[in-house]
Amino acid sequence: MRNRRIRLLAAPLLALVGVLAFAGPAHAAGATVGACMAGEIEHLIEEAHGDLDHVKHELHDNKKVQDEIEGCFEAPNPIIPEVNEIVWGGLAFLILFVLMVKKGFPAVKGAMDARAERIRSDLDAAEQAKADAQAVQADYESRLADAKGEASRLVDEARAAADQVRADLIARAEADAAGIRERAAAEAEASKAQAIADLRAEVSGIALGAAERVVQSSLDAEVQGRLIDAYIDEVAGSNG
Amino acid sequence: MNVLALNFPEVSHLFVWPDILFSGTAYAINKTVLIYLAAVVITGAIFLTAGRRTGSLVPAGVQHVAETGVTFIEESVVMETIGEEGKKFMPFLTTMFFFILFSNIFEVVPGIQFPANGRMAVPITLALVVWVIYNVVGVRSQGLFGYLKNSLFPPGVPVALYLIVTPIELVSTFVVRPFSLAIRLWANMVAGHLLLVTFAVLTHELWNATYVGAVAPFAMLILMTGFEILVSVLQAFIFTILTAVYIGGSLHPAH
Repeated sequence: MRNRRIRLLAAPLLALVGVLAFAGPAHAAGATVGACMAGEIEHLIEEAHGDLDHVKHELHDNKKVQDEIEGCFEAPNPIIPEVNEIVWGGLAFLILFVLMVKKGFPAVKGAMDARAERIRSDLDAAEQAKADAQAVQADYESRLADAKGEASRLVDEARAAADQVRADLIARAEADAAGIRERAAAEAEASKAQAIADLRAEVSGIALGAAERVVQSSLDAEVQGRLIDAYIDEVAGSNG
Repeated sequence: MNVLALNFPEVSHLFVWPDILFSGTAYAINKTVLIYLAAVVITGAIFLTAGRRTGSLVPAGVQHVAETGVTFIEESVVMETIGEEGKKFMPFLTTMFFFILFSNIFEVVPGIQFPANGRMAVPITLALVVWVIYNVVGVRSQGLFGYLKNSLFPPGVPVALYLIVTPIELVSTFVVRPFSLAIRLWANMVAGHLLLVTFAVLTHELWNATYVGAVAPFAMLILMTGFEILVSVLQAFIFTILTAVYIGGSLHPAH
């Protein structure tokens, strides 16, 4: 990461230093008319190998040399492109274009497309996960509703069962109570009948004894019994 | 040249740079050439570095520059002017945009302060390349006859008007276009450079003369520097979008 940054910074810095180091100041370009003329004359002297007479001759008579010196007064037409700048400018663009087509552009565009694809698939996955979660939630909710229904059904059943048990218990208790009452009544009835029989026997004994004493007769026991029963029934009927 | 008693440099001296290497040859190197090469190095460095960071989901640093540029060219240039089928021109248009942008932007880089497109070489070269491309695209997509017919006789024009329209279209489409494209970029950069030099010279001279008087031109110099950054980007954009418009026009005949 650090290295990459350094490399990245180095590129424009190198370019900057390159331009600064090699490029002369602007006013050096073409210098002045005087400097241009001096340069032309210097060139002539060099060509003539120092033969000043030849230089003089050239200056006076050679139309071509005169035109060249005249050219110092003409500023270059700024709209006419320089050949070397076209060559280098065109070459620079061509190099950059090839570099971009082969390497830079596909890499950057590819990374962008891959990222877009990744984000899209992540979004799809998130959407799917959301749908799944919603399905699970719906499932849980329906199960919860079922469970609630089941619970309430169980409670109702338990309540019904409890009611049933209660009703049964009550019924049984009532039946038991009725049985007890019945038995008590029967026992009471039996006791009453026993008591009556006992009383009757006793009364008949008493009556017999009394009758014996009253009549002092020889009535046999059977006749005596019948007489006594008839008497008692009479008594009982009159008592209700 | 003396303007308002100020020592204003010769205009040609602001644009013509002396050769540094291979002087006098067709491959002489000067400051303008170095700026072109710097534009190649910077654009190449941005894209190659950005291209390596393919794994990260969140773009960072230089990736932003490259991706913003690509997105900008795709959405604001190609899709607006050509449409889906223009995407095959994306590498060309992106290269063109960044190359012009970085050639221009050196206008405001301290110590360099020269827009390489203030020289005619690259604008006219690129404009001629564009001219070739949109004509080839036109002939390929519509056939030579169809392309010429649609270019010179735009449909929907009353027949009588072709007398006027056809010569105009002929001149504007096949002759003037590359030059207007080149001159628009070149002249904008020349004008910007002259403006900056003017305010810089004014500031310098007025500082020497009065100190206080330099405040106004210096403020303008700052303002113009900001403005020229805008112009550098804008001209790169205009050159690119016009290229796309011309290509789009060749792909889809005039409606």
